[in-house]
Amino acid sequence: MRCLIVGYGYMGKIRYDVLRRHPAVQQIAIVDPEVAASSADLKGVLLHPGQPIPWEQADAVFICTPNHVTAELCAEALRRVGRVFCEKPPGRNWEDFSRIAEAAAAIPNHTLVFGFNHRLHPAIQSAKALVGSGGLGDILYLKGTYGKSGGLRFRENWRANAEMAGGGILLDQGIHMLDLFHLFLGPLSVADAVLVDAFWNCGLEDNAFVLMRSERGVPAFLHSSATLWKHTFRLEIGCRDGYLMATGLLSQTGSYGREQLVVGKRQFEDEALALGNPREEIIHFDRDDSWEKEVNEFLLAAQGGRPTTHGTLEDARHAMQLVRDVYAVTGRQAMMARPGASALGIPRLPRWQPLQRPS
Amino acid sequence: MRSTQTSVTFPLSAIKPLDQLLTYRAYCVARTRQACGGSVKRRERCPADGVRLESFGDVEGLTYARCPQDGSLWLAALPEPVLWADLLARVSRYRHSSSAFHAELTQSRTDHVYAPKLEWIQDTLRLQQMGHPAVLEAVSPPSSFTSLLKDSGLCSTVVTVDEMALAHSPGRSAAAQRVQAAVLLESLDRVDDPEALLRGVDERLAPGGLLFVTALVSSGFDVATLGLQNRYLYPPDRTNCLSLQGLSALIAKMGFVLLEVSTPGVLDLEVVQAHLQQDPDMAVSVFERQLVEAGEETRMAFQTFLQERGLSSFARVVGRKPG
Repeated sequence: MRCLIVGYGYMGKIRYDVLRRHPAVQQIAIVDPEVAASSADLKGVLLHPGQPIPWEQADAVFICTPNHVTAELCAEALRRVGRVFCEKPPGRNWEDFSRIAEAAAAIPNHTLVFGFNHRLHPAIQSAKALVGSGGLGDILYLKGTYGKSGGLRFRENWRANAEMAGGGILLDQGIHMLDLFHLFLGPLSVADAVLVDAFWNCGLEDNAFVLMRSERGVPAFLHSSATLWKHTFRLEIGCRDGYLMATGLLSQTGSYGREQLVVGKRQFEDEALALGNPREEIIHFDRDDSWEKEVNEFLLAAQGGRPTTHGTLEDARHAMQLVRDVYAVTGRQAMMARPGASALGIPRLPRWQPLQRPS
Repeated sequence: MRSTQTSVTFPLSAIKPLDQLLTYRAYCVARTRQACGGSVKRRERCPADGVRLESFGDVEGLTYARCPQDGSLWLAALPEPVLWADLLARVSRYRHSSSAFHAELTQSRTDHVYAPKLEWIQDTLRLQQMGHPAVLEAVSPPSSFTSLLKDSGLCSTVVTVDEMALAHSPGRSAAAQRVQAAVLLESLDRVDDPEALLRGVDERLAPGGLLFVTALVSSGFDVATLGLQNRYLYPPDRTNCLSLQGLSALIAKMGFVLLEVSTPGVLDLEVVQAHLQQDPDMAVSVFERQLVEAGEETRMAFQTFLQERGLSSFARVVGRKPG
């Protein structure tokens, strides 16, 4: 297959690394207005800085751009190529997502996958296998914490630019946890939420506290943060017959700690000594193949026209509905427009422009 | 690949008290000497990585060799397979007789040895989304685990196969029923040719099938600390005492994809402590003695560390046959 990567930032590089090792991929082209051919060490890769996007040379497209051009590029890629892998979030807001969904609806037999790779992390897949009939019984509650520290140059990143990003940490990183909640509980609705821009003062939430419930009434709580000075990923799953706690992520930097899953089984009948302190097993994982898995599933679907099972349009819709509803519940617009927000060194817009159509 | 640690605790006395072990051990050693009394074949190379073995020392006059690369220990010379099979069968029958300490601890061993292994298999089958497989147990019969497996409802069928026959009759094995999972509880520790046993298992396993292995490993704390002074190291039960590295390498070499390599042992410190109580002059370092004599909190933290870092002597490995 001939793959086209649109956007060669952090995610574009990850996709490139996976694609160049994939046996079905014969050619990789990259389009990025900020990457010059001479500066990139990309042997055998076509670069088209400043030129029209060569849709006609692609069998599959990877949209790895900043949020403000995602929807337009994704919709056009669907129309021109029909097989699209789009990074999360699927646009800046509900309107952006709707544009993608409308484009997809107009293209029969398209393949569209969104990059919700956390579903495919080994700790999450193991947790999914153990809940319900997997032994631990029905889920009683979910509690997720996902956050990062931002870093010295946080404000210079496009993610801190309200116009480009469309949302704060909830849309950027918290959306992964929302997707995991959906994976475990199905559709959720927002019961309440609090957003604050407590530290970074970018006019976007740097902390989100969201309370949700599933259609069966199971509660779920998310803390998404850009001020967790110790990078944290923690998903607690309380079940009728035990509990699970997924912590750490096998990320590239390793800053989220060793990926592990604590498996505890409820013990209180006739086991007084174990009351409140049941036996636990801790499973450690040493390899994250989530990137490979999701790209492989996408490419197989793109080649064979078979449906995908993860990161589908419906999965994206559920996540974006929750983000939309949280922003509606909290009156986020008021927070974004607060005085002084525009004078805080928010960066210039990079040169990503709305779609360049071929002449 | 994954590794597992556990918060389960139980005392050494619940499963293999050192004082009671000695009678059983003496029987095992005597029968092994008898089996090795005639013609024997020396083991020259480590089955895991092919490195030439070096002499390590004796256990009651029976010599062990060591792989200089991965630290695995191997009984240096073995008789013909038929004699070894007979030895394993006799020892297994003795283990299940009223003469061995195991009889007095049947319930306790079921609770602390076999039930956790059953739970491990159950959880792994769930994680691998494999429901009701046909399971092969390789053992020198009788086996205390067979009935537990059958009663668990985990498996569609349980086939118990003599481990030595599986290792040395590959043709007969290949013609038999294919299974989706195979269980080798300390079987690689006992057989004369672990490589051949894994080959026999591979022939019986369907593509995608799972291999469950438990073993005592030489890289674990109590074996590494006590060396040949460790009373739990004796043939034929520990004819082979692979290191965790050697065990993983051997299983991978036979074509299995490693899904789990863990050392969730809970008794390392207690094993060393039991040896020191029996022989206060035993040669261990000051630091090791300090650890063993430390308070409960320190001991538990250290045992947890051993589990977490693959340094306990009880190992569990899960492999998957490709395909």
